[in-house]
Amino acid sequence: MTAIIEAQGLSRRFGDVHAVDDVSFAVEEGSVCGLLGRNGAGKTTLMNLVTGQDFASAGTVRVLGEDPVENARALTRVCFIKESQSYPDAYRGRHVLAMAPHFFPHFDAALAERLVEDFGVPVNRMVKKMSRGQRSAIGAIVGIASRAELTLLDEPYAGLDAVARHIFYDRLLEDYAAHPRTILLSTHLIDEAADLLDHVLVIHEGRIEIDADTEELRGSASTLVGRAADVEAFVAGRDVLAREHIGGIASATVAGLGADDKARAASSGLEVTPVSLQQLIVRRTGGASHREEVA
Amino acid sequence: MAAVAAPVRPEALVPAGRRVWNVVRLHVANPWPSVILPWIVLVSIHALTWSIWAIISHYAGPGIEEDAFRYAGGVSWLVIYMMIIAIQAMNAGFRFALGFSSTRRDYYLGTVAFFAMMAVVYGVGLGLLALLERATDGWGMNGSFYAPAYLYDEPFAVVAFHYVALYLLFTTMGCLVGALFVRWRANGLYLYFGALALAVVALVWWLLDAGWGATVDFFTANPLAVVMAWTLPVSLAFAAVGWLVLRRAPARG
Repeated sequence: MTAIIEAQGLSRRFGDVHAVDDVSFAVEEGSVCGLLGRNGAGKTTLMNLVTGQDFASAGTVRVLGEDPVENARALTRVCFIKESQSYPDAYRGRHVLAMAPHFFPHFDAALAERLVEDFGVPVNRMVKKMSRGQRSAIGAIVGIASRAELTLLDEPYAGLDAVARHIFYDRLLEDYAAHPRTILLSTHLIDEAADLLDHVLVIHEGRIEIDADTEELRGSASTLVGRAADVEAFVAGRDVLAREHIGGIASATVAGLGADDKARAASSGLEVTPVSLQQLIVRRTGGASHREEVA
Repeated sequence: MAAVAAPVRPEALVPAGRRVWNVVRLHVANPWPSVILPWIVLVSIHALTWSIWAIISHYAGPGIEEDAFRYAGGVSWLVIYMMIIAIQAMNAGFRFALGFSSTRRDYYLGTVAFFAMMAVVYGVGLGLLALLERATDGWGMNGSFYAPAYLYDEPFAVVAFHYVALYLLFTTMGCLVGALFVRWRANGLYLYFGALALAVVALVWWLLDAGWGATVDFFTANPLAVVMAWTLPVSLAFAAVGWLVLRRAPARG
């Protein structure tokens, strides 16, 4: 496996704000990598840097081994769909789709047409008059059908309803299976996208907080639920990430439980579930854990 | 020690010429605002102007002066309109093209090529209409709509070149203004209008001080083609500065 994106000490400052702050990571070729983080964490800025749309204040980023800035060798292999994509004033949906094959050499127009049907995009409407969801759908269609070696999707389904989001996941996975590529996907909807992701990058206040395989991350902590006394007895001396109490029932999220630990927990009447990605990330990025411990 | 093999650098998937041409296409994906609408508006203004000529000459009778309809200004809006098209191209068009994995260099080359082509289309088109105007005795009214005023006596080549040069001047200026906006947002526009205001003040000062005679000489001593040829280096300078501004412009939302 080789890295398709490599960043070393990458930073982007806007005045006093460190939007991306000394970040180093690699994305493996062929993986589906989630870029997760809160609003303003630096996801879009990071993706702008990876695609040469913005300029780094310090550090380097390599895409397919090359500096992406003003580099057609790298960029003709990249497709970056962002929520804030702007379109020429005079464009209708069909103009966007008519231009895409020229810019994305692997673009599959027949697939795009099917996706237009699936999402129900009014391609004859002016893009500026489309709803947020319809604009997102146009972006998602271009992103999937372009089959670029490296596809970056920044909040690709903002404004899409649950049904449309599931169409998006299904079609993306389907096409990824038939035409493997590398996908870097940023999203708020962590649990919804979790099954898609091989790898997770969590960015928080401009820094990479978590860089791990999804499986490894999921295995890194478990949630135990049971009677408060049983839970307390079991977790004594362990690394507890979070606690919740509701009446006599308690739940605790505990790091690093082995198979025999889990068996022992189960035998002492506790329910053991793998922690959800969302819970884990919420806890690691300044979530509610503090408040819960006080409660 | 064995030499380390240089990594094989794959070629860009789309060759350079095609990348620039794709940007040209991007500007005419919907040809309505830049190619079709201006001609429709132009013909409409022409029709209106012609109607007014007809009304005036009906009431003025045969005594009307020969050059009464020689100073129409119905074409001049076109260059301002095209400047606005150029500003929009630099703003939304630029960010769209970068979103479609274009480089800034390819985008700028394609955009300038597009406006150069449009300059020829509009220059030749207006020149041909001027020929038609002359062949029809000024649309039967002795009027000059497409070659008014100082263009009245000029041959086709000069009329066409005049429009080409004027078109280039205004679109390159539009590209510069648009690039300033994309690079520095509102501050870029303050910079532009500040510089423009200073330039106007300096020009007026110079004209009042010593330049008036020289300026009049320049416009009267030189044929129109030479005067218009002097706009070409100015357009080139606008285009070059536009590139310097745009080449470090981010494509942020």
